[in-house]
Amino acid sequence: MARPAVILVGADKGGVGKTTVARTLIDYFGAHQTPTRAFDTESPRGTLKRFHPDLTEVVDVTSVSDQMKIFDTLGSADAKVTVIDVRAGLLSSTLQALTEIGFLESAKKGQITFAVFHILGPSIASLEEIAETARVVGDANYFLVKNFVNNTTFFEWDPATYNSYFKKIKGAEEITIPKLNEMAYEQVEVASVPFVSFVGNKGPKGEAANYSFVLRGYVRHWLGNVWGEFDKVKLVDLVSPKVESNVRQVAG
Amino acid sequence: MSFRNSITIVASPRPRVGKTLVARLLTDFHRSENRAVIGFDLNAGERTLTQFLPGQTVAASVRDVSGQMALFDRLVTGDDTTKVIDLGHESYESFFTLAHQIDFVEEARQRSIAIAVLFTVTPDQTSVSAYRSLRERMGRAMLVPLHNEMLGSAQHRDKYPASGSSAVTVRLPVLAPGLRKFIDTPPFSFADSNMANATGIPIDAHIELQRWLRRIYLEFRELDLRLLLADLRSSIRFGS
Repeated sequence: MARPAVILVGADKGGVGKTTVARTLIDYFGAHQTPTRAFDTESPRGTLKRFHPDLTEVVDVTSVSDQMKIFDTLGSADAKVTVIDVRAGLLSSTLQALTEIGFLESAKKGQITFAVFHILGPSIASLEEIAETARVVGDANYFLVKNFVNNTTFFEWDPATYNSYFKKIKGAEEITIPKLNEMAYEQVEVASVPFVSFVGNKGPKGEAANYSFVLRGYVRHWLGNVWGEFDKVKLVDLVSPKVESNVRQVAG
Repeated sequence: MSFRNSITIVASPRPRVGKTLVARLLTDFHRSENRAVIGFDLNAGERTLTQFLPGQTVAASVRDVSGQMALFDRLVTGDDTTKVIDLGHESYESFFTLAHQIDFVEEARQRSIAIAVLFTVTPDQTSVSAYRSLRERMGRAMLVPLHNEMLGSAQHRDKYPASGSSAVTVRLPVLAPGLRKFIDTPPFSFADSNMANATGIPIDAHIELQRWLRRIYLEFRELDLRLLLADLRSSIRFGS
């Protein structure tokens, strides 16, 4: 049996688009027929659960009982991939907790595939999180995600500054989430459906919807680019080496 | 029957090659065939389609998302209305870039709407490159080279191969010298009975205009048939 995979999506700053990235990951694995479950740590009310209610459970990642709910079920769950959307400010403490329960050690031994999607904000402070997070993450697959979806300009960085941080981290890979047209993004928010459902003109229960063709086109194009980034880092191979990818059929 | 749910885009990256005249003629052709038709005008300046055919045309834009939605969402609405787009050269690139990005041709195909691009051919490299690029971006649409004989008699066939399952070219015949002035003052419709709004038009000029109109309408009927044929082929292919 293939080993379970855990993907942690987080940042120590809020408003950098963690949940958006988590949503694209769930859609991506869905398109690759990779069974996936998700945990939303915005307890008691989770944003991720609003978009993926059937796959998502809201948990308090700081409570031991919820940690058991996530990590003690990795081997027995039907889902091969577990995506955890970590609430703002909890990335460091979550990683610390994972160290304490021996999870990171299991990942190091190859019993679990572990990846961290560290969503970067526009500030130098956000860059400073990298070294701190990398120190804890150790041998995990560490992805630094520059998220432009919400019109972030990364104005406080310049390439030299960014590279000085980025290059410190051995083995880290960079993912760029491109900007999505604001109106298209807002309409998906209003619709409260996964991106793939919006593209497919489907409502929350799979019923036919009537979203704008233009906005659906924007989302399809954007999602194709995001998945292209995931393809670039061979994400499917990472979590499930034998699954064939056919991502373009859904994302266009 | 064909053209009922069709979209024809009259396009060229060059200004002043007769696109608006073709769009006017095409719109009035559909009216003369008793079809519901609407024109979309993506032009700035004077003597635009909106000015010539104010009752049949809406101004459109692809500059912002609201304009893009107003245009493309309406284009793919199955309302049994034939649509004609007069695509000004300023909007040419942004229109086709967006159309490609949002997969306009595929969406139209799924809704059984035929798309034809009437591309006014000229010998310049800009147009040749634009046409080549269009074949890549709009390959599943019917790409129809349009030879405006008022621009010269050269056909440039080797540079502008027709594409689509029913390849066809359209010719806009030369309008006899001196007749242009009768049709160039908006508003003006070729479909109005006897072109009654063209005041002061001498009888011989009127006869000549009707003759010219018949020739271009014949070209449009051929295009109509080719589109129908393409639709039929498409239905058979998807039905089998």
